[in-house]
Amino acid sequence: MNISIEVNGKAQSLEVEGRTLLVEVLREQLGLTGTHVGCDTSQCGCCTVLVDGQGVKACTMLAGQADGCRITTIEGLGGQSLHPVQVAFTECHALQCGFCTPGMIMSVTSLLSRHPNPTDEQIIEGLAGNLCRCTGYANIIAAVRQAAGAMAGSAA
Amino acid sequence: MSAVPASETSLPGVHYARREDHRLITGTGAFTDDLRPDQMLHGHVIRSPHARARIVRVDLSAVRAAPGVHWVMTAEEVIQQGGGSLPNSFTFPGRGGTTQQVATMPVLAHGQVLFVGQPVAMVVADTAAQAQDAAELADIEYEELEPVVTPDQALAPGAPQLHPNVPGNLSLHFESGDEQAVAEAFARAPLKSRHRVHSQRLVGFPMEPRAVIASHDAQTGITRLFTPSQGVTGMLKSVAVASGIPAEQIDVLTYDVGGSFGLRSNPYSEHVLVVLAARHLGRPVGWTGTRSEVFVSEYQGRALTLDGSVALDRDGRILALRFDDTIDLGAFSAGPSSLIGARNLSVTMGGSYRVPALYMNSKLVYTNAVPMAAYRGAGRPDIAFAIETLLDHAAHEHGFDPVVLRRINFIPPEAFPYKTANGTLYDLCEFHRTLDRALELSDWAGFDARREAAARQGKLRGIGLACYLEASGAGAVPADTVQGDFDEQGQLTIYGVTGASGQGHETSFATIVEQELGLPASRVRYAAGHHGRALMGNGTGGSRTLYGAGSAIVELCARIREQAQTLWAESGGAAGSAPDLATWIPRLDAAQRARLSAEGKAQSGSTFPNGTHVAEIEIDPATGITDVVRYVAVDDLGRVISPQLVIGQLQGGVVQGWGQVFCEHAIYDERGQLSTGSLMDYALPKAGCIPTVEAEQIQARTELNRVGAKGVGEAGCTGSIPALTNAMMNALRRQGVAAMDTPFTAARVWEALNPAA
Repeated sequence: MNISIEVNGKAQSLEVEGRTLLVEVLREQLGLTGTHVGCDTSQCGCCTVLVDGQGVKACTMLAGQADGCRITTIEGLGGQSLHPVQVAFTECHALQCGFCTPGMIMSVTSLLSRHPNPTDEQIIEGLAGNLCRCTGYANIIAAVRQAAGAMAGSAA
Repeated sequence: MSAVPASETSLPGVHYARREDHRLITGTGAFTDDLRPDQMLHGHVIRSPHARARIVRVDLSAVRAAPGVHWVMTAEEVIQQGGGSLPNSFTFPGRGGTTQQVATMPVLAHGQVLFVGQPVAMVVADTAAQAQDAAELADIEYEELEPVVTPDQALAPGAPQLHPNVPGNLSLHFESGDEQAVAEAFARAPLKSRHRVHSQRLVGFPMEPRAVIASHDAQTGITRLFTPSQGVTGMLKSVAVASGIPAEQIDVLTYDVGGSFGLRSNPYSEHVLVVLAARHLGRPVGWTGTRSEVFVSEYQGRALTLDGSVALDRDGRILALRFDDTIDLGAFSAGPSSLIGARNLSVTMGGSYRVPALYMNSKLVYTNAVPMAAYRGAGRPDIAFAIETLLDHAAHEHGFDPVVLRRINFIPPEAFPYKTANGTLYDLCEFHRTLDRALELSDWAGFDARREAAARQGKLRGIGLACYLEASGAGAVPADTVQGDFDEQGQLTIYGVTGASGQGHETSFATIVEQELGLPASRVRYAAGHHGRALMGNGTGGSRTLYGAGSAIVELCARIREQAQTLWAESGGAAGSAPDLATWIPRLDAAQRARLSAEGKAQSGSTFPNGTHVAEIEIDPATGITDVVRYVAVDDLGRVISPQLVIGQLQGGVVQGWGQVFCEHAIYDERGQLSTGSLMDYALPKAGCIPTVEAEQIQARTELNRVGAKGVGEAGCTGSIPALTNAMMNALRRQGVAAMDTPFTAARVWEALNPAA
């Protein structure tokens, strides 16, 4: 089937199989390898992208279901500069191996769009769908707080 | 192909914690599955569905005829191409002069299969989907045989024999120390305690699933293997042995690695299969595991049972320690499993304590499970877990304060260097300092009031500590070497063996250079495993990279300083003055710069990271759910180079230990099927499980290496597994629960609290 999607601001018309997942289109057809695949049961969150501004695990969505949608991946998040969530992740040392990081950053971006000033409970709930094996999460939680502060500052 | 990692970039105004970070936060890193060679074919592995079976008949004709299929490899093809088995890294002499019997894993099974997930064949096709579709047409007939799932079953008289060369499924009966002296001490000891820990089987779970790509160049005869690794030279050697291809014809390339924890130091069948396939087919061949197949095929961790006994005098002084261990090797010996079961458990079996008599005996046993290999700590956390929970058990049994019992048995500062009763030499540790500070930070003395306050809210509080000591990796090769060259901009590139998987080598090594040479860290790069350079060294593992390769970098800096000084004097620099390298080197010509190239070499053995961790927990008895309310870690990791990275390693390690204590468990059913074969059944720690680790380091420098560091990679979990377990048992014992194995899942805790339910 043919689908039309907008990925990181660019319109794409693509031929996909019915069984093709959104994450496969991003990685294999569009070469956007910043979106990672860490499991096959939709639990690790490494493949999280924004679909029409909402965090979605790109392994849970068929490419066909994304027809007509606007997709943002880690490569398109900051444009020429860095998004405040990206800045917070490096400044707080919220990544080690970096494999979960793109999905984490997209989930946190989605979380902060829902809760610009999140409580600890909202942060933990917002990260529940993303696994990290390296950091123990403390610095990721610190990065969420820092990014929220930075975004509130820039919005004011 | 886009097989070159994205160049380092950074943007002004951002305070990057690490040099590695920019590419990783922008999605421009180069993990193996991100590499896309042109014309790449895709492998799919057909695996055993049975724990133990005879392969009766293999008909792959329909697979070979399926659309897109280029080649189907079975054991026959592997053997024809010169391939064999995946190597075992260590053997040890056994008790009473016996010899270890080793069974290594064939690249592809022939005749029989011995665990669910064992590779039987690989299909190579144009696309991954075609390879998988074709694999479903395989017609393989198995005759199922009775499996041995536990080490006890494997050691029972009349148990099925898994390997003809291994009678009784016993690979090695290892011993260390003096059995007689320990027996005599126990015979006269007034107080004794015995406590068994089962350090359960775990799935290591680096977030990046295992991936390999091979690409053969017919002109040069060299096959390039792209794969995550912990250091390319060890990986290359093992792939050469297993594939039968001379090492000179293989080049291993590792870029970004999505976690290792010990699981990326040894090759798996797929490494060998893609190399053979790429050479046979003349096209690149790649394979990336799905998480489900990684669960059933990647070497698992822990799987050790340590049955400990302690003999005490009336004042609580330790007279002797004895451990009787059972090591579940799984179906084959993989990589360092014998090292874990023998050396790593025994070298620090006395822990932080002065123990006159020590004895350990360990049975290394084959079962029908995924092979066991290194996982964060590789035996070190397990022995610390056994010692520190045994002491708590003894304290409870005989009415000692657990803090006092430790304090009176610490090796005192004046006793260093201290040689243990089984021959390990500790250089210098300051156990009282870490203990005192941890007790202070955690307000240990105020616990009773907190427990009573929690009890009024219907909650069960517990507090526990661990005064761990571990031996970091001795190194598998005689020395670590690095080479350094300057480019025309005056940037120093250091080439070494050890490869990072999140530790931040690029950052820490640059910091060492800045401290040693005054060259800004931003002018230093690190490249691991560069082809064509004759480098010797260890991979990342055993917490040893910072001081192993780091000491070689200190040496490298000394050479560069000497050579720069000579060149400076020759070119008219004033006597007694030294050049500012950052501004001087870019002004040199190529020949002058070449004279600054140098090699650094250092031999560094084991160090002894140690510390005191205190955990405080609160159980909700209505649900069995436990919260960690306080976690304090005071560690002696030697000199700290990058404080932020050290705390990051420590927090990550503490939480991996939390995973073992509270949720992770690889469970096999009675037929040898892995019941916990996906994230639906195997729980990993999530955000918030330990909100904060209050961490301090006392930085007692060691003289055992040039950096003065002791290592941090494994300290976190080595401390947290016993500290958290002791905290849980502190709460549970008050409720009449005498003993309980990890993991303390909510359901198991609730059942322990409600035995009649």
